[in-house]
Amino acid sequence: MGSLQLQSIRKAYGGHEVLKGIDLEVKDGEFVIFVGPSGCGKSTLLRTIAGLEDATSGSVQIDGVEVGHVAPAKRGIAMVFQSYALYPHLTVKDNMGLGLKQAGVPKPEIEEKVGKAAGMLSLEPYLARRPAELSGGQRQRVAIGRAIVREPKLFLFDEPLSNLDAALRVNTRLEIARLHRSLKATMIYVTHDQVEAMTLADKIVVLNGGRIEQVGSPMELYNRPANLFVAGFIGSPQMNFIDGERFGDSAKTVGIRPEHIGLSRDGGQWKAKVIHVEHLGADTIVYLESDEVGPLTVRLFGEHRYAADDVVHATPVIGGMHRFDAEGRVINSGR
Amino acid sequence: MKPRETTMDVSEIKRPRRWHILVFLLPALIVYTAVMILPLIETLRQSFYNTVDGQYAFVGLGNFQVLFGDPRWAADFWNALRNNCVFFLIHMVVQNPIGIALAAMLSIPKLRFSAFYRTAIFLPTLLSFVIVGFIWKLILSPIWGVAPFLMDIVGLKWLFAPWLGRPDSALIAVSLISVWQYIGIPMMLIYAALLNIPDEVIEAAELDGVTGWSQFWKIKLPLILPAIGIISILTFVGNFNAFDLIYTVQGALAGPDKSTDILGTLLYRTFFGFQLQLGDRSMGATIAAIMFLIILAGVSLYLFAIQRRMRRYQF
Ligand SMILES: Nc1ncnc2c1ncn2[C@@H]1O[C@H](COP(=O)(O)OP(=O)(O)OP(=O)(O)O)[C@@H](O)[C@H]1O
Ligand SMILES: [Mg+2]
Repeated sequence: MGSLQLQSIRKAYGGHEVLKGIDLEVKDGEFVIFVGPSGCGKSTLLRTIAGLEDATSGSVQIDGVEVGHVAPAKRGIAMVFQSYALYPHLTVKDNMGLGLKQAGVPKPEIEEKVGKAAGMLSLEPYLARRPAELSGGQRQRVAIGRAIVREPKLFLFDEPLSNLDAALRVNTRLEIARLHRSLKATMIYVTHDQVEAMTLADKIVVLNGGRIEQVGSPMELYNRPANLFVAGFIGSPQMNFIDGERFGDSAKTVGIRPEHIGLSRDGGQWKAKVIHVEHLGADTIVYLESDEVGPLTVRLFGEHRYAADDVVHATPVIGGMHRFDAEGRVINSGR
Repeated sequence: MKPRETTMDVSEIKRPRRWHILVFLLPALIVYTAVMILPLIETLRQSFYNTVDGQYAFVGLGNFQVLFGDPRWAADFWNALRNNCVFFLIHMVVQNPIGIALAAMLSIPKLRFSAFYRTAIFLPTLLSFVIVGFIWKLILSPIWGVAPFLMDIVGLKWLFAPWLGRPDSALIAVSLISVWQYIGIPMMLIYAALLNIPDEVIEAAELDGVTGWSQFWKIKLPLILPAIGIISILTFVGNFNAFDLIYTVQGALAGPDKSTDILGTLLYRTFFGFQLQLGDRSMGATIAAIMFLIILAGVSLYLFAIQRRMRRYQF
């Protein structure tokens, strides 16, 4: 239980089409992440699945049942919002229990479920508090707890961590990963954060302008991007794109990830001047300008003593090249 | 590092006297004192004075003794106070629930022409009470009113009665006219409070299965409770100061047979006199003082007992 099928989902606001035919299949127990630039329709798609928006056309099926006309609460889903969306006038306990209470679940059972969820999220000390008396991280955990107690088939998360600071984000991320393992529920998760996407997902869905660009496991997307957009979107720093002609290649564009370029002072394929160097400790990012292939970003592991205005030689790693045709589709990927 | 030293340093910093604050406050203070505080003090003072043997003299609580002790004064006063309470209760049970309902309907996102409804319902509040009173007198007049005519069209003429002219219905009729006029204020305040509830909270409720009426009772109503409190106290102050509408609809005698007499009209007749009754400043001031105490008590009750218990929600 907990599978999802989307078939040619379209959604328009007035005349403006936001989702332009989305087909997607999510298997039971999968952790699927939607990524894409701002405004590409991630939230809209999630809200369509939840039933908060009606699709203009297309079908949404949960466990093989068409839910297009089923009320949100009856779809067996739970959603966690970016802004937490807790009920400000209720205590943590009542926030988590309201859905069950509304469904007519007997009190002792609500108590038990809320207690269990609070235990999983270490919220026991705060059960009697109101949302205003909690920190941001605690509030987000309450929002997650509210989703858990309903024991949904499908969890929907809309950028749940983006209001949290970096350290808390890592913790909560781990917590969500742990939850996914222990609940074995299907989860769909929207994020802007590459690290979140790469670390949490079984499957990443890259959206752009209301369309799906590619669906695949994190490593598939990293190693075999289907087009220029995905190649540029996944991976940080961004992939280098080089004009095929300058490169002497039949492809329109050739992409090389910054970590797939080697640097040497003595000799190599392209001579280049160092423009800027960023020392990150574990990594060193070197920005180059080469006469042959234009600007290049290179990511080296560990510390390196390059400085601006040094003259260096860059060599692409064999098999690290992605070739794209004039429409931006991949011709072949290195590995 | 000695923390004690730092605290001493802080306390030793002398702030320059900020005279300009006083200067900026002064104009408002002067105006407010001249038009509000002095008249209030003067009224309260007058309620302790009266003319004794042709001499203006301090009589202590004598005026209050007359007001509550003399059967005729007391009858008038208690009648006005009781009518005023009825007036207030009708506002509380009619105006505010309807205001909330209108606001709830206005905040339905799919409602069309909501800006039009909002303006239309708020419009009477902007009208002068003279116009409102006059319009309703015309509408409800049994002789040339439009109400009997319209009710006749739909076959309800038998329901019509000269509501403003009958002692048992006049107060209710006048209260409802006042409700009609001021319904826009609770509606707007509640509407603003409802708009203040974030969409995502409502959506979370939808996902929790809390929809329709139970959503209103369990989510929206608790969140607009502070606004309802403010509306109640505004209604209270407004109703116990009311005078104008009754004066225009029923005249200073607040007829028929004083059945619509409230504290405001009683004060007016007492202070300025009307027809055969001579104006009595001291007794007028005494009634004004009582009105002040009633309103003060109500506002204090709200501020110290109710508002403190109420939570304001940040979203
Ligand atoms: N209620 C609405 N009415 C009209 N247009 C809307 C509405 N909601 C969203 N849109 C439009 O739909 C598009 C997609 O919005 P959506 O919120 O799904 O983006 P998103 O991918 O979640 O972006 P972000 O990453 O910034 O949250 C945007 O161009 C937005 O302007
Ligand atoms: Mg979004």
